[in-house]
Amino acid sequence: MSSDAGAPLLEVEDLVTRYPVSRGLMGTIAGRPRLNVHAADGISFSLRSGEMLAIVGESGCGKTTTAQTVMRMIEPDGGRIRFRGSDITTLSHRQMRPLRRQMQLIYQDPYESLDPRFRVGDTVEEPLIIHGEGGTKDGRDKLVREALERAGLSPSELYVERYPHELSGGQRQRVAIAASLVLNPSLLVADEPVSMLDVSVRAGILDLLAGLRRAGLGILMITHDLSTAAHYADRIAVMYLGRIVEIGSAKEVVRRPQHPYTRALVSVVPSRDPRTGPRPQLLKGETPNAVHIPPGCRFHPRCPQAIEECKSVDPQLRPAGGEGQEAACILVGHNEHLDAEGGGPGAPTATAPGRI
Amino acid sequence: MSTRGPVLRVEDLHVWFDLPGGELHAVQGVSFELHAGERLGLVGESGCGKTTSILACIGLLPPNASVAGRVYLNDRDILEGGESTVAPHRWKDVAMVFQGAMNAFNPVKRIGDQIAEPMELHRTAKGRAARTRVVELFEMVGIAPERVDRYPHEFSGGMRQRAAIAMALACNPQVLLADEPTTALDVMVQAQILELLVQLSEELGLALVLVTHDLPVVAQTCGRAAVMYAGRMVEDGATTDLYHDPKHPYTRLLFSATPDLYAQEHIVSIPGVPPRLDRDIVGCPFQPRCDRAFAPCPTIAPPFVTVAPRHAAACHLNDVALERTQ
Repeated sequence: MSSDAGAPLLEVEDLVTRYPVSRGLMGTIAGRPRLNVHAADGISFSLRSGEMLAIVGESGCGKTTTAQTVMRMIEPDGGRIRFRGSDITTLSHRQMRPLRRQMQLIYQDPYESLDPRFRVGDTVEEPLIIHGEGGTKDGRDKLVREALERAGLSPSELYVERYPHELSGGQRQRVAIAASLVLNPSLLVADEPVSMLDVSVRAGILDLLAGLRRAGLGILMITHDLSTAAHYADRIAVMYLGRIVEIGSAKEVVRRPQHPYTRALVSVVPSRDPRTGPRPQLLKGETPNAVHIPPGCRFHPRCPQAIEECKSVDPQLRPAGGEGQEAACILVGHNEHLDAEGGGPGAPTATAPGRI
Repeated sequence: MSTRGPVLRVEDLHVWFDLPGGELHAVQGVSFELHAGERLGLVGESGCGKTTSILACIGLLPPNASVAGRVYLNDRDILEGGESTVAPHRWKDVAMVFQGAMNAFNPVKRIGDQIAEPMELHRTAKGRAARTRVVELFEMVGIAPERVDRYPHEFSGGMRQRAAIAMALACNPQVLLADEPTTALDVMVQAQILELLVQLSEELGLALVLVTHDLPVVAQTCGRAAVMYAGRMVEDGATTDLYHDPKHPYTRLLFSATPDLYAQEHIVSIPGVPPRLDRDIVGCPFQPRCDRAFAPCPTIAPPFVTVAPRHAAACHLNDVALERTQ
C-alpha cells in the first residue's frame, strides 16, 4: 500500500445519493408513496495521492453513482465530500469549476466518449480551451503533445491529426486518458476503463493508469472485475446494494475476504487455469433492487451464514482481518472457524497470489 | 474419445462478406469437430470470426455473406443444399443461444408462449403438449413452472437468460451453440448460468459450443477449446494443455494478458492489432505481433496440423520442435 504520506486527496463520509422512482401520472393521482432508489446509502472511504482504490461490485450496487457523486456530477442527498482537505459537498457549479480541472473522469466506452468529428489533437485540446489554459495555440499544442506522450501515444505527431475511426479501441481509450491528463489533474476517476476493450490491450491501459498512480495521481477505479482490481489496485472496496460491505488492501480482501458477500464473490471468479478448480459458493437469486432494501443487514436474505440477529441489526464497517481491513458483518470476528476449515470459499489453494 | 463419430464436424469453412468497400474474408478455413456431451470453447477477440463461424453452421448469415465449406451433422452435410438442407435441422438438431438473447424476448408476449413457438414451427409439439414441454423445460433450467405465464419484464436478467436457454432446448437439440451467454451478466449470475450449461450438457448429452472472449470462463467450463485469430483456427486442444503447454504464441500471450485472481504474474498486453481481413494475408496472420516469429513466418502461412495427441496448432515453431525431437 502506498499510504501514509500527507492528508487524503479525497475523503467521503456517509455519502447518500437517491434517485426518485417515477410513479407515473396514475400513481400520483392514486397517491402512491414516493419511492427512492437508494443508489449510495452511507458510503465512507478515503483516497490518498499516489493510491489506486478500486470500487468493486455487481451492476446496480451503486458504484458508478458513488463515483459520479464524488465528482459532483450528481447532487448528494447527504454526507460530506472533501477534496484536498476542503469541503466541496455544497459548492455551486461556479465554485466547482476551478476544481473540475483537478478531478477528471475516464469513461467506459472510448467508442462513445470521443467525438468522431474531432481530430485527436482537438479532443485533447478542448479541455484547455474550456478552462482557458495553455496560453497561445503553440502553448496548447505543446501541452497536447505532452499529454499524448504521457498516455502512451508516442510519437505524438503520429496521432494529433488522426480521427477516432482511424484508431483501435486501446488507442481511443488512450486519447480519452490524454484529454483528462492535459489539465494535470490530481484525481482520476476511471469508470470501467477497460471493459469495452479486447483482452490483449487491457493490460496496456491498466499499466498506464498504474504508472500515473506511481507518478502521484490518486485513482478511483470503478470495476465489476475483481481480478483486474486485485492486480492493479492498492485497496479494494466491495459494494453491495448501496453500501461498502468490505474495504481493505487488495491482497487481503481477495486472499482473506471477511464479509460473506466478498467470500461468495471471490469464489465465483473463474480462474484462467483449468486446474485451479473454483469452489463456487453460489448465492441464490440476484441482488434485490435498491428501492426496497431489506431491513437489518441488507445482505441477510442471500447470506449463507445469516443468523436471526441479521434481520434487525444493520451492521457497520469495523476492523476485521488484515491491517486496515474492515467489514460490515456482525459475524466478523466469529468467522475464524471458517478460516480454519480451509480459508472459506475464497481462499486460493496451491497458487496463492503473490504479486497483486 | 468416443467410439461414435462426431455429432458436428466443420470442414474448411469460409465466409466472405460483400461490403461497400470490398470483400471481407471473415472466416478463412475453420475446421473442428464436436462429440456428444462435449463442451468446446470457441475463443478469440472481437472480429476474429468466432460468431460468424457458428452462424454459418446453421445458415443464419445475412444475405451479403457467401459461405464455402462443409458442416456435417451426424455425417450428413447440412450446408450442401443451402437453406433447403439446413433449415430442417436449425433449432431442431442444432439450436442457438444468441448473444443478448435474454433481451430479445417480445415484451408483449408471455415467456411460455414464446418458448413454445419453435415447437409449433417444427411440429414437435403443440397445444397442451407444448405447454407441458414448456413446464418441463422451465424445471430443467431452474425457473419455477408457475412463471410460464409471466412477461419478460417480470424476469431478472439471469432468469431471462435461463428462459433463452429453455427456448433453445425446446426441440431437444443435439448441439447447442451459445454465443457469449454470460457476457452481460454479473459474475454471480454468470456462475449460475455456466453451472446450468455444464449440467445440461452432462444430463442430456448435449454437445455445447461456448463462444466467448473470456478465457477463464472457458477454462472452468469446457474440456476443450479452440482459439481463433484473424478468421482462422490457431490452436485446438484440451483446455489444460492450452494453458499449461500452449502450441501457439497467441494462445500463450492471450492467457498472459488475462488477469487472474489466483495468479502471481503481472499481466501483459499483446502489442499491435489484428490484420485487416479485407486484404490477403501473406504468411502467418499473427506474425507481426508474435514474440517468437522467425524466418518462414512472414511468407509462409503455417498449416493447422496435429502437433500432439488431440492437440492441433498452426505455428511453424512446432515444425522446428518436431525436427529437434526426431
